[in-house]
This record gives sequence, C-alpha cells and structure tokens, in this order.
Amino acid sequence: MRSGALDLRFVARRAGYALLTLAFILAVNFFLFRIMPGDPIALLARSQRLSPEALEEQRRAFGLDQPLLVQFVVYLRETLTGQLGVSLVSGVDVVDLIASRLWPTVLLVGVGTLLAAVIGVLIGIRGGWRRGSAFDSSSLYSSLVLYSTPEGWLGMLLLLLFAGWLGWFPAGGFSSAGLALPVLALSLGYVGQYAIVMRSSMIEVKAQPYITLARAKGLSDPDVRRRHAVPNAVLPTFTLVVLSVGFILGGAIVIETVFSWPGIGLLTYEAINTLDYPVLQGVFLVSSAAVILAAFIADIAYGVIDPQVRQS
Amino acid sequence: MVALRIAIAALVAAASLAAVPAAAAAEDSTLIIGMTVPIENPNIWALNSSSEWSAVTLQYDMMLKFSDDDLSAAPSLATGCEPNSDYTRWTCAIREGVTWSDGTPLTSRDIAFTYRFVIDQGFPYFSGYFPEGSTFETPDDNTLVWVTPEPSRGPEVPAWVYVVPEHIWSPYVGKTNKEIKQAPTLPTVSSGPYVMTEAAPGQSWTFERNPYFWGDEPAYDRIVYRLYTNQEAMVQALKNGEIQIADGIESALLPAVEAIPDVVVQKITADSWTNLAFNFGGQDPASAPLRALQDVRVRQAIAMAIDKQAIVDKAYQGVASPGETIIRPLSVYWHLDIPDDQLIPYDPDGANAMLDEAGYARGDDGIRIDPETGDRLVIRMPTSNDTPGSEIAGKLIASFLQQIGIEVNAQPVSAGKIYDMQQSGDFDAYIWYWSGDPDPNYQLSVFTSAACGDLSDGCWRDPTYDALVEKQAATLDQDERLAIVREAQQYVYDQVPAIPLAYPNAIVAYRSDLVTGLTPVPAGDGYLTPSYSYTGLVNARPASSGGEASAPASPGASAEPGAPQAAPTQAGSTGVPVWIWVLVAAVVVVILAVVVVRRRSATERPDTH
Repeated sequence: MRSGALDLRFVARRAGYALLTLAFILAVNFFLFRIMPGDPIALLARSQRLSPEALEEQRRAFGLDQPLLVQFVVYLRETLTGQLGVSLVSGVDVVDLIASRLWPTVLLVGVGTLLAAVIGVLIGIRGGWRRGSAFDSSSLYSSLVLYSTPEGWLGMLLLLLFAGWLGWFPAGGFSSAGLALPVLALSLGYVGQYAIVMRSSMIEVKAQPYITLARAKGLSDPDVRRRHAVPNAVLPTFTLVVLSVGFILGGAIVIETVFSWPGIGLLTYEAINTLDYPVLQGVFLVSSAAVILAAFIADIAYGVIDPQVRQS
Repeated sequence: MVALRIAIAALVAAASLAAVPAAAAAEDSTLIIGMTVPIENPNIWALNSSSEWSAVTLQYDMMLKFSDDDLSAAPSLATGCEPNSDYTRWTCAIREGVTWSDGTPLTSRDIAFTYRFVIDQGFPYFSGYFPEGSTFETPDDNTLVWVTPEPSRGPEVPAWVYVVPEHIWSPYVGKTNKEIKQAPTLPTVSSGPYVMTEAAPGQSWTFERNPYFWGDEPAYDRIVYRLYTNQEAMVQALKNGEIQIADGIESALLPAVEAIPDVVVQKITADSWTNLAFNFGGQDPASAPLRALQDVRVRQAIAMAIDKQAIVDKAYQGVASPGETIIRPLSVYWHLDIPDDQLIPYDPDGANAMLDEAGYARGDDGIRIDPETGDRLVIRMPTSNDTPGSEIAGKLIASFLQQIGIEVNAQPVSAGKIYDMQQSGDFDAYIWYWSGDPDPNYQLSVFTSAACGDLSDGCWRDPTYDALVEKQAATLDQDERLAIVREAQQYVYDQVPAIPLAYPNAIVAYRSDLVTGLTPVPAGDGYLTPSYSYTGLVNARPASSGGEASAPASPGASAEPGAPQAAPTQAGSTGVPVWIWVLVAAVVVVILAVVVVRRRSATERPDTH
C-alpha cells in the first residue's frame, strides 16, 4: 500500500490537464472579447474631439489595424514573455494595473471567504449533527435566504444602514474602516453555501456504519463527531474552500462596485465599459489561471486526504 | 513569467497602498470631491475620462483660456494676441513673472515647445487645433508668434491645449506615444493653482496648492478627488460630510439629494446632448434607410409630433431642457435660441395634416403608406443604452408617432452595436448623443457630407449646409462668423436631418454649510468643478471657520454646531494600517472557532450515553 505517498503519475496527469486548460483559456481569452460588438477606439471618438487621422493613429499604435490572426500571434508571443500589453484607455501597463488592484481584492475577498468558510462550516457541523433541532432549522433557513440574496442588494442595504443611517462606516473607498462593510456583505453572501454543503455531508456521514460502531465502542457524542464524523464530512467542503480561494483573484465585481473598492472586480467592470481588451484579457488570464491552479491543488490535496481518489 | 511580474508589482503596490490612509490625516484645509468616473493615469498625455480632464484643467493653463463668462477666448498665460493684416501671423504677449510649480520660470519657449510637441506627436485631443503648416517663433521670453501659411484664427479659437514645461518633457521628444503615456508624472510640474501629488489607482487623487501659482491664492491647501463607483454611496458620503461636493449625480437620485439639509444642487447645462438622427444611406452597399425619411416633410411632421417637454419630464425627471439646435447651450456664445416664430411647435394634428397633404395615406391598420414604394411607415429606431434617458425617450417617441400613423421599433442596444449600425448604415433612425468643443467647428462639421462614412450619423448630404460650414470656417471676423454659425444652426433645424431631443443637465451638489464661493463656469448654469476652467475651485473656501468636512482628523475642530455626524468621517482616516484589521479578523475567527467548539463540547456532553 502506498499509504499517503503521492503517486507521481497521478500528479503529472493532473498537471497535464491543468496546462491544457490554461492553453485553451489563453486562446479563448483573445477571441472572446473581440466578438463583442463595437470598436474600442471609436467609442473614444464619440465623446471627445478626435479627428479621423487621430483615430487611425490610435488604432495603429495598439496594433488594432492588423489582421486578427497577426494580433493573435503578437498576443501569444507577448503573453508568453510576461507582457500583457498596455491599457487602450489609460496607456498604463496592464501588469502594473492588475498588480495595483491585487492587494485590495485579496484583502477583501480573502478575508470574506475565510470568515464565511469558518463560520459556515461550524454552522453546518452543528446543524447536520442535530438535524431537525431548532438551531438546525433556523440556520438552514437563514443559510438558504442568505445564499439566494443578491449580494449587490445586500451590500446596498448594509451601506444604507451602517454608512447612511447610523454613520458608523465610510460609504465606500479603500480604507481600514471601509473594509468592514464589504467583508460583512461578502461573508453573509458566502456563508450559506458552506453551511449547506457541510450540513448535508454531516447528515450523510452520520448514517454511516462506522459512526454506529464508534458509538458502540462507548465514545462520547462530541468525540464521535470530532474524531469520526467531521474529518470525513469535511471533504466536500474542503474542495469548495480551495476552489473559492482560486476565485479570490477574480475579485468580487458587484461588491467592489457597490463599495467603490479598488480591486480586480472593479477593474474588470471599468474595462468592460470601455472595451479595454488588454485589461480584460489580463484580468481573465490571471483569474482563470488562479482557478485552474486552485483546482489542481484541490485535486492533489484531495488525493492525499482521501486515498480512494488516487486509486480510482 | 506573468505571474512573477504581477506578484512583484503587487507587493510594491500593496506596500504603498497600506501607507495611504495614514498619510491623509492633516490639519490643513482639504476639499474632498466625490467623482463617479476614475482617473486611471495622471499623465496629461493619457487624458481620456471626464475626471482626467477635470484633473488636468485644475493643474494646467492654456495660452488663452475659455472665459469664465461664455467660454470665448480670454487672457491666461498670454495677456492677448494680435493678428497681422492678413491673419497669417499672430503675436501673443506672454504674461511676465509666471513660474512653474518647481520654481522654473515659464516663458514663451515653453508654449512653443508644447505646441510643437503636440503637433509632432499627433496627440489626439490636442493636435487638431493647429492649421496645417503652423510654426512658432519666440523672439523673446514674453512673445510668441504663431505663423500659418493660410489666414487663420490661430490662438483665438482658443486652442484647447494645456501648456507643459519644456524642461520636464523635452527628454520625451521623438519617443513613442506609448512611452510618453507611461512617463511618471507625480508630483506634477504645472502652472495652475494645484498640482497632483498622490494617485491611488481606483480610489483617490490628491492635489496640493501650487505655491508658485500666478493667480489669486486659492483658499484650500489640498483638493482630493475620491472615486465612488456607486452613486447611492456618494450621496450617503455627501450626507455624512465625508465629501463636500458630489460631482456627476444621476437625475434619478436628485430627490434623495435634495432632501439632505444644507445641500445645494447645481443643474449644469451639460456638454452632451441627446440626438435622434435619421439615416440617409450611402455608408455601405448594405445600407437600407427608409425612403420616406428622405422626404423633408415627413421629418418635419415627425419633429412636430414629438413632445420634447414630455421627454424632458419623463426621461430626465425634468433635469434637462428641450433640445433645439445642434450647438448646445453650453457654448453660450455660439448657440442659437430659435426665435419663437421659427420654432416647430408640438402639434400632432398639424403633423397629421402635413402627412395627409404629402400623400402618405393611412392603411387599414392606421399606419401610413409610402405613396412611392407602397411600404408601411415603420421606423427601426434603436436607442443607445450608454445614453441616459434614451430608452425612455425611445418609448415616448414610439407612442407619439403612433398618433400620426408611424410605427416605431425602439430597441435599446449597446453603444458598440449603435456604432456598428452607424458605420454600416443599416438603420432608419437612432437615438445617441453628441458632445463637442465650445467652438462650434467640430460639431457643425460632423453633419457635413464630408463626414459621411466617418462621424456623420446618417450621411446627410446637403450642399447648402456644406457651404455654410465651409464659409464659417474661413471667416476670420468673429461677428461675421457668428452670423453664419447661427444661420447653419437654423438651417439644420429646418431641414431636420436630426432632432436634438434634450439638453440633459449634469448634476453637482455641495454642502453649503461646509463649502462656499464655488463659481460656475460658464456663468449661470455652468460647471462648478474644473471642466473648462479651474476658477470655480480657486474661489471655493470653507463655509465658516473650520467648517470643512472630512479628512482632517480634528474631532472638535469648531464644526458647525448642528453639523450632523462628523464622527463617521473619522473612521475613514484613522490611519490604522490595513494589516492590523486583517490580524484582528484572523484573531476573531480563531477565537470564534475555539469558543464554538468548546461550548458545544461542554453543552452536549450530558446527553451522551
């Protein structure tokens, strides 16, 4: 038995899949945004005074006058050498642009995800273990309500209540105090899914014969739960958490927009409005790479935690 | 590779961001303005969004500026310009004793450098102001001579070009525009009242008073533009006094803003106007405009059937004025108020009579038939969803035209889609917007035949109009030119190639208990924040001693006795580093986890058997 040791073939196969997915994303990433109607340069012209010559010059400067295939080759070459181009709108290097928004997003979405996961899992454990109790039904209902609440709406409510009416927090912007409301909105929005997943897998595990055996051995109820039920039940939630960590880099478009939080989500929103191809490509590349990486890590880690996965 | 570059840059960025909240605390007077459009790049040559225009206008001077009264040319860095007899040589007297914000003297050579730099690099927004073959001479520090091969109005337009220091930008001569746009610029070296000292991407931009400014000393030490991507949040911030001015409020929020005590609302005669354009075809072999719309009688009948006041009331909540001519009222000097006896009245009955007389009889379903083609009068009229109010205006127009037997399909589409239609000519009419210079030349020219296939909405081609536009461009005498520009506006109004539906107002609101002295430019319903001139903010001052709003971390600083909720603003600038909050959150999580687990173990032990 290869107890616990990582099967290298398994890791290599997973890594291969991940790289393949990344290559696919790389290609889709380029064409996806060019299917959108309109011409980014012409959009500039409407509101500002640009002569036709100036427009042509802009197009040339960004290589948008080249055939699509040529643009694609240039894009591949630059991306593979670590260049994501410059923003069509502001002329800023996309790498710098993304980097400047990374920390606010990691801070906001990271803290939000962490809080939601920990609280959600705790609620799920308790609710699932004592299914049908008052705690379970109230937590289940509130989880469902929170899970299905549009986060933008929730954010607006929090904003009007705590920033507008009570005046405890600033109404937006990147500051230490300004972190509280968006984190609260995100955690409330995410906590439901963790609680629900954890609860259902607790319920499933609780019916297993080894739980009955553990009880028969005379273990106390908390011991059965802590040593036998939770470690097994936590697996699906673990996957969810690791995948969520991957999504952190994508930012939270709605929440960041509601709270004027200068993260990746807000950057994406602005870039969509102005058809800023290089920025959109950069953001999508970085966030999809993060998700692929997270999925890869989840695969491997799952293999370590649960040997059944490796053997299948 | 990309990951590594981003990671390194992110660490640097994070380090600088973490320092920002602490740095803002100060006892100086600070004016904080909420904005809804970001500044992405503080570099003047990367100018693009309205906030970036505002930032540049706050910092830089033009040679001749837009006058604070009516946006015509007025003294600035130059005290005046005189043409020679044939208008090929303009001699401008440059103000003496003006200094850049780094202490270097500003001379005519800086202006000549800027103009040559702009022309050589072909900077899109600036290079259009120089007639072909313009050259510049600097006989001495205080004289600039602008020479053109053909007679021109040269500096008098005025050229909307901000003057930059030669000693800063000369190393960039001959570089690509890409390189120039990425040049580091902070702190700005400029000649205006304020210079940008800090830029936190996606959040705020800080301007400090320029100690060398040549004009009247502004009252505020510092001005901050703070970004709100959520309009509701900006209104809350205004209410709480986190900001003193909120710029660019959408009309739907007006009732909420007006309900805030001590708030003054300025409805600005805005830059852009909402336009219903008809298509005349010819852009592309595929272009297929409706034949009936080529008939001026049909277009006039449509204009007569549209209740513009209803559009103003319903699509803009009354925060607009009915559209008239293609030169919007903001260009105070050039705009023509159509005389009452020339106005096309709102008169559906008259419109019906006109169409009856023109031979467009109603079919069985009440929709009129084109006598030449036998087609029903059905207009494809998409509305652009990037143009505020256009969707509702489209629906209203559909119902107005229903009354005169014309069916309208008003489908909202993206701006990109509208652009595609404008290029291909595959539409009958659309609702979009225009926005242009205070000088009418650009706006007039987009309706000429020459603009077909380029900026022209629907390729209207009218030799009479083309001749008028050409004539005004070549007329050097201001009064004569004004008469021709007004004639051209009247002509377009009568021929109806497009119907200006509304001149929407931009809304800016400020706390009159915190800030006073804001001067609109142009006078009356003009902008309070820098759009054409920095005058509005130079004249601004705290409403009463210490009555300033937010950033200052001076809790009791003699704020107005009734000034509500001064406290929340402190939260935003407590200067607690962000990492402390992360630490606090982590600790809370751990404690929570431990407590919950412990408590559960304790409470549940008894019922295990």
